Order: sequence, then structure tokens, then C-alpha cells
Amino acid sequence: MKVAQRLWSSAGRTDTGKVRERNEDAFLDQPQQGLWVVADGMGGHQAGDLASRLIVESLAELPTDLDFEDRLDALRGCLHRLNRHLSLGLTLTEATPDLLVGSTVVALLAEGSRVACVWAGDSRCYLLRGRQLFQLSRDHSLLQQLVEERGMSPADAARQPGAHALTRAIGAAEELQLDILELESLPGDVFLLCSDGLYQDLDHDDMTAALLRPSPQLALQRLFDLALQGPARDNLSGVVINR
Amino acid sequence: MNAEAKVVSADLTVMAGANPARVARPLPKDLPELLGGRYQIERLLGVGGMGAVYRARDLLREQFGEPQPWVALKTLSEDFAEYPDASALLYSEFALTARLSHRNLVRFYSFEVDPACQRAFITMELLKGNTLDHVLHQYPSGLPWPEAHRVALSLLEALRYAHDQGVLHGDLKPSNLMLGDDDIRLFDFGLGQAREGFLKGLPRLARSRFAAWTPRYAAPELLDGATLNAAADVYAVACVIYELCSGQHPFRRQSAKQALAMELPLTAPADLPRALWPALRAALEFDPARRSTLPDLLRAFRNQRPTTSLLARWLRRTA
Repeated sequence: MKVAQRLWSSAGRTDTGKVRERNEDAFLDQPQQGLWVVADGMGGHQAGDLASRLIVESLAELPTDLDFEDRLDALRGCLHRLNRHLSLGLTLTEATPDLLVGSTVVALLAEGSRVACVWAGDSRCYLLRGRQLFQLSRDHSLLQQLVEERGMSPADAARQPGAHALTRAIGAAEELQLDILELESLPGDVFLLCSDGLYQDLDHDDMTAALLRPSPQLALQRLFDLALQGPARDNLSGVVINR
Repeated sequence: MNAEAKVVSADLTVMAGANPARVARPLPKDLPELLGGRYQIERLLGVGGMGAVYRARDLLREQFGEPQPWVALKTLSEDFAEYPDASALLYSEFALTARLSHRNLVRFYSFEVDPACQRAFITMELLKGNTLDHVLHQYPSGLPWPEAHRVALSLLEALRYAHDQGVLHGDLKPSNLMLGDDDIRLFDFGLGQAREGFLKGLPRLARSRFAAWTPRYAAPELLDGATLNAAADVYAVACVIYELCSGQHPFRRQSAKQALAMELPLTAPADLPRALWPALRAALEFDPARRSTLPDLLRAFRNQRPTTSLLARWLRRTA
């Protein structure tokens, strides 16, 4: 197992950005365990930073001495448990009758060449294979819904009011539906997990060029340099994972 | 909303259908990693709407060789830490709970204020196990009756003890009950209050000034603004026991007011012995004047003998 996990090297980073006063993102970078996570706490709601931190710190303590399927089950079970905790267990006050404590999540679990990506919300997982960049996750947002169900172009959909609002997140509703994508990784694959603050101001070619750099640290450095040259209105987080 | 707030809110992560950004306001300082020069925050264990509970290592006890130096540490969420009475609210929880000593109630250690960041916090025993809401997810039709009976009885005994000591809980729900290997623990007295006539001199928080509840477990009178009383705890504990036995909330997860408006019928949990149903149903009465009392409910559960014991004893004898 230990030999297999040396397949992976990774690096993670988060930044408050230029506008926000606090960072509501959280990330997990555990190459030895083959587990990486990015969570983006829901802004405009109290305790968004607590929700993303709770997700990351809970996933960090999941047992690692299980086989791949059982680890994936444990990961999903943990996210469902946190969803119930945040959506049903909160004490409300007169001042906060509609309190919503929630967060997006995108997690990558790897063992040997097997990889599973699990997500809810608009934090993303990308794969660079060869010189081609693929977006593996599909956003749970109104924008994505407009594109898929009404056939709008992404640019037109983005101009609709509230287009970036989420349709799924941990803690948002009693029932949670996670999306899961399983795949076989190949030598040379590079994965990127990131919050919308990182990808929203970067174009496809910039991301591809950054991820082609020889180490996860250098790739991450390039991605953050580019994003922080822009308006960086949101918190930004990324984890780059190289095989 | 002013123009500046709009600019900021455009990039906030929001839920579809939810209200967008609230008014921008100064943000309190983040919680430091070391509190009181002694408690090293390790991880967040839970978020409760008003408070957050962390696992922390007590460096002082560790220095003296304590092999289990971990504590649970509760602070108010940063939004509430700005609330004028936040520290008094937390102290009230500590003062009430520190007076209680019962095997099924969480044990509190200390109330402290970090000198540097001025944040108040409580330390208490670190509970092991799973909360009832988590356990019920694994038992969608409720716990097997002998187990449900044992948990319900421990819960009722703990609550009866707290009431006898003059302490009302105020926020009974499955996520505030920890099921460990050998016993259960009731925790989170964050909305607890002293009963009328008890513990005089303790700071009292009037519900009119600070109203808080968990909608599915709050008695209807609380939702109408009444002050917390023993009958409201009875309604909430009856909801928890119903869920414990059946896996279902008695009113399909509706609040008492919604259930009343919808005239939802109440049916007996399948596994509950028939003799116990009248007592449980009476504890779920919407009208507090007609609701049964905690001693009534406890008596009914005490009188119900564990169903397997006779059979088990007989089987052991014949084996």
C-alpha cells in the first residue's frame, strides 16, 4: 500500500483573495492516504468557514486501512452524516430563523491507479491527461442547469441573475445527492481540485499551461499568480495532484 | 442594500432560492489555535447554530503525563461572539450544567476567557460514540426495542435528575444525545434555564430577549413565545423517544405548529409495547395543560420490564 501511494505527489494552497475579509475555503492534502479535498463555505450565511472546516477535518480522520470500496463508502457516509448534522441539527434563533450553514465539497480518493471523485456544489475537479484538460466534475449551479436544460451558452447563462447560486451543497437540504465519478488514472495524469474563486478568472489555456509545469508546487504557484493578478473577489483554493 | 454590498455579494457562494448576502459588518477575530495558553485546538467536532465544539488537547495535563489529555471545548460561533450577552449565555450553560452530576449527563470542567482574544469558552469531557441522529440513520426503523427501551429510560432518568436539580434543557433532540459503548450522555445545555424558584441568583435569559429552538423538537408554546418550562422538555423528549423507537419523527419532521395546522395523525410506533403508547402519546400533546408530566412518562417506562429479559433468562436456564 505504501509503495502504491508513492505514485502521488501533491500540494495545496488557499488564499483569502483581494476583497473578502475572511477565508471560508478549506482544503486537505494527504498524498500518503490518497485523499485530497477542497470545500468552499457558503458566503452570506453565518459560519460558512465552520462548515468547510468541519468537512475537511472530518474527512481527514476517516480510516485508511480499508479497501477502496469501503473507503469510498466511508467518505460518502461521512458527507451524508455532516449534511444531516448541518441541515437538521442546527438550533435556530429569532435573529437567524433561516440559518443555513453549508459548504461545497470536491474530494479525490486514490488507491493504486483507481481514482474516485466525489462532489456537491460548484467546486471542481480537472484532469490534465497528455496536454488536454478535462473538467471531470459538473457544477451543481443554476448556471449549469440553464446550459443543460435550456440549451443556453455558458456565456449567456452567466449573465442571468443569480446564475452562480448553487443547487446542491453539504448542509443545504435534508436530502443530499452526491455525484461520483470513478476512473483509472494513467502515469503523468495531473488532477486539480479547486474552488470557484480559483477557476472563475482563469481561462482553459492558462490552466493547461500551469498544470503542465513539472511539479504540483510549481503548477499551484502559477495558478495562484495568475488568479491573484485578476480581481480575486472570492476566496481561492486549489490542490494539485500529480501521478 | 448599498452599492458596495452589492459588489461584494456578487461573488458570494449562495444557495439557489436563499436570500443573497446579508449586510456587510465588521468581522470578529478568528479563533486562535491555542486558547487560555493551555488548550490546543485540534479539530472542529460540530457546529450548533450558535456555538461550535472543538476537540482540544489540554497541554497542562499532558505535561503532567495525562495519557488522555483531550477535552471538548465549546465557544460561541464568531457571529454570536459579537452578541452583547454572548459570554453570559455561555456562562449560564456552564453554571447550570456544572451543578449536575449524573452518569448520563455530560461533565463540565471549566469556564474560561482567553485573555488575548477575549473569547469565552467551556471545557468538558470529550464524548465517545455516535449521536442518536447518526445511529438512527443506520437503523431507519428505529433501534430494536430492548435497546430503545434502555436508551429511553437512561434519557428520561437523566432529564428527571436535571429537572429535580432545577435545570431545564431547552433543546432536546437526537443530535444532543451521544450513544457510547456502555452508556448514553445527554449534552448541550446551551439553551438550558433554571426552573422557576430554583437556583436563584443565576443569570436568567428571558426567551423574549433571546429566543432559540430546533423547530422539529420545540413544543408549540415555545414557538408562540412562551418561556421555557418542564412541559416543553417533555414534548421534546417524547419526540426523541418516538424517533428512537420508530426511526421516524412523530409528525413527519414538521414543527408542532405545522403538524397542528395540517392535523397530522399520530400513530403508535410498531415496536412500542402497547401499554406504553398512552403515556408517550400524552407526552406529545400540543396543549401543555393536557400534556403528561416527566414523572408520569418516566414511571411508564420504568414499569415496562425489558421484554427480552424473561425469555433470555429462561433460555439460559434451559441451555
